[in-house]
Amino acid sequence: MTDFRDLVGDDLGPDELAELERVDRLLRSVPAPPPEVPASLDRAVDRIGTERRLWTRRRLVVAVALAATLAALFFGVGRWTGGSGIDYRSSVPLRATSSAQGATGQIRIADRDPSTGNQGLELTVTGLPKLSGGDYYVLWLAKDGKYAGTCGTFNVGAGTTTVDMTVSYRLSDYDAWVISQPKDGAPWLLSART
Amino acid sequence: MATAESDSRLIERVGHGDRDAFDQLYRRFARPVLAMAVRQLGDNGRAEDAAQETFAAVWRSARSYRSERGSASAWLYAVARHAIIDRARQKREQPAEIPDEASDSAGPAERAEESWLAWRVHSALEQMPERERVVIELAYWSGLSQTEIASYLDVPLGTVKTRTRTGLTRLAGLLDEVQE
Repeated sequence: MTDFRDLVGDDLGPDELAELERVDRLLRSVPAPPPEVPASLDRAVDRIGTERRLWTRRRLVVAVALAATLAALFFGVGRWTGGSGIDYRSSVPLRATSSAQGATGQIRIADRDPSTGNQGLELTVTGLPKLSGGDYYVLWLAKDGKYAGTCGTFNVGAGTTTVDMTVSYRLSDYDAWVISQPKDGAPWLLSART
Repeated sequence: MATAESDSRLIERVGHGDRDAFDQLYRRFARPVLAMAVRQLGDNGRAEDAAQETFAAVWRSARSYRSERGSASAWLYAVARHAIIDRARQKREQPAEIPDEASDSAGPAERAEESWLAWRVHSALEQMPERERVVIELAYWSGLSQTEIASYLDVPLGTVKTRTRTGLTRLAGLLDEVQE
C-alpha cells in the first residue's frame, strides 16, 4: 500500500495533516469493501415491495423442489388412474412479442369449480429462454393495457414446458393473458382475449 | 447545488412506502451491507441472501425508525446485523468474522467494534463522488501505486493525486466522529 506521504504530498498544514492521517489509519484498519454489488442482488431487491412474499434464492429452490415433487406425484398418480380428470373447456393461443421472437404458448382453461370459484389452467410454452440467477416468468391477466392480476410464476426448461395453475379471478373481467419477466416488466407472450 | 438527502430522511420516506427513497437507500448501503455479510458468513451466496433480507426488513420496518433514538446508520447496521445472524443460525452455526490481520486475537467486543468501524468507513465511501471513491479504493486496497492507478484509469498522475487528497479530505468530514 502506498505510503501516506506519497498519497497526500508534503505541503499540508499540521491540522489538515492530522485529519488526513486519522482517515488514513481508518482506511488501513478496515477490510476492502466488495468490488461491486452483484446484479442478482439488484434484481432481488428491486422486487421488494412489489411482492407479498420475499422469495430468497433458498426459498425459491425449496419451492421449485416442492413443485417438482408435487408435479411428479400428480403426474404419476394421473398416469396410474388413467388421466388428470380435468376437462378443459377452451384454449387461448399466446403470441410472442419482439422480446421473445419464435416463442409460442397456449393456455387451456378448465371449467370454474362452482363450490370454490377456482378455475384450473394449463399453460404450455415453447421457445422461451431459460432464465438464470433466480429469475422467473409471471403469468398475468391484463386489463386496459395494464397488468391487473398475477396468476403464478414459472420457469422453463429446454423445449416445451407445461405448467398447471389455478386462478380465482373472473376471466371475463380481463382483456388478455400476458407473460412477463419481473426484471424489465415487458410482455413476452400475450393473448388477444381471455 | 443539490444536497444529498440524509439517511434519516430517506428511512422516514421509506416508512411511508416511498420506493424512490428505498432505491436511494439501497444504492447508499448495498455495499456496506454486503461487505459485512460476506465477512461474517464467509459465503457469497448466503451473504447475498442476508443482504436481500436486510433490505426487505428495511422496507417492512422503516416505519418503526425513530431518529431521536439513534443515527440512521446505526439503525441500518442493527437491521443488517440481525439479518446476518438469522442467516447464520439457519446453518446452525454462529456468525464468524473472517479475521483480518488486526483482529487475529480479538474477542467478541473487539470484533463487534471492528465490524462497526468497517461499516462506518464503507458507508462513508458510498457517499463520495464516484471519481474520488474509485481512486481511494484503488489506493488502499488494490496494491496499485499512484502511477499504476493513473495508468489504470487513464488519467494524469496529477489528477489521481488531486482526487486522492480531495477524497481523503471529504472522508475526514464524513467520518468526523469516528476514531480508529
